[in-house]
Amino acid sequence: MAEEISLMKGNEAVAHAAIRYGVDGYFGYPITPQSEIIETLMEMAPWETTGMVVLQAESEVAAINMVYGGAACGKYAMTTSSSPGISLKQEGISYMAGAELPCLIVNVQRGGPGLGTIQPSQADYFQTVKGGGHGDYKLITLAPNSVQEMADFVALGFDLAFKYRNPAMILTDGVIGQMMEKVKLPGYRPRRSEEEIREQCPWATLGKPASRGPNIITSLELDSVEMEKNNERFQAKYRVVEENEVRYEEIKCADADYLLVAFGSAARICMKTIEMAREEGIRVGMVRPITLWPFPSKVLNGYAGQVKGMLTVELNAGQMVEDVRLAVNGKVPVEHYGRLGGIVPTPDGVLDALKEKIIHE
Amino acid sequence: MAKIKGYVEVNTARCKGCDLCVVSCPTDVLELQPREVNDRGYHFVYMKHPDECIGCANCGYVCPEGCLTVYRMKV
Repeated sequence: MAEEISLMKGNEAVAHAAIRYGVDGYFGYPITPQSEIIETLMEMAPWETTGMVVLQAESEVAAINMVYGGAACGKYAMTTSSSPGISLKQEGISYMAGAELPCLIVNVQRGGPGLGTIQPSQADYFQTVKGGGHGDYKLITLAPNSVQEMADFVALGFDLAFKYRNPAMILTDGVIGQMMEKVKLPGYRPRRSEEEIREQCPWATLGKPASRGPNIITSLELDSVEMEKNNERFQAKYRVVEENEVRYEEIKCADADYLLVAFGSAARICMKTIEMAREEGIRVGMVRPITLWPFPSKVLNGYAGQVKGMLTVELNAGQMVEDVRLAVNGKVPVEHYGRLGGIVPTPDGVLDALKEKIIHE
Repeated sequence: MAKIKGYVEVNTARCKGCDLCVVSCPTDVLELQPREVNDRGYHFVYMKHPDECIGCANCGYVCPEGCLTVYRMKV
């Protein structure tokens, strides 16, 4: 079937996009505000149409390890959860980064720490881009700001994950997950056959033909000399990703005197702030990082020569602000404005913070 | 002219407690449940002052989940 325009929640869009992309397996566990993903998949029963497996695992830990198994066979495997569940999955994510396995993880963030609240938050930024699990690894991180991007990033996430043999994450939150919006869903792609997987993923463990040695998928290497070489290979791969896969959106930056930096739902709120500020004659622009790792550091550094100050707006106590400060390296003042624990900032709140912290009115 | 009395039926399972209907109500009929939650954990909306409802259906128009049904009755 062809493309289709529909009105749905961000979470539902992820489920629809996964089936249409030809995902082989979904392994999840319910948690608010993410449950609509697994609910929609169960309702659509793709195992009867595309043959996609949809399974509610016994726990988040089980789900991520099922993804590990699927990915080791070169399959498109994915899991989704919200903040507390993603914490449980960190061990598996680190193992997959160490074993160089591609997969897609969706984190529909809620306020923490601990069980916290079920309202939206962006407080898992550090967990996602600075590690989360153990070891020197990086997660390709995509931050959608609309239901359309929730759908689009399923395909992009899998494409990047398989291109670099690395886990990818869609880092979104309760606002985008629960919000209903128009979305253009892509057409259906058939799932890949075993032969196609063998061709595309020569590393996959799909049975050993006589022509080659066994494929071994593991993150374990007891010889430190070899383990250092593995790490150097990962780091070289990460440098290539940083060089080629930075994605961002620039909004009204050309004549901006002040710059907002925000991702996901916070960037949606800032759109209104920009409008309000410009009505008052304050020229404000915004850089919206779409990939949180690799981070658009060079772009922000470029604007450091143009603007008088930058304000990061986040649904947390100040996390991405550290990366923005590293990027501009002291050239301009960088301040942070955020609300915590599931409270969403308002456009006027952002404008007041901009005036108070950066413009010093 | 006959007076119109309204009633708001809430699909509590689908309500995500976004508060839009509460803000949109001109007669302050609606409120989010202060203690009870639905099976997703959201404080769902309920008619705190049912006698004040004029059946204007503002709440129904703004509900992003389509979980409010408004009835009007002439009294």
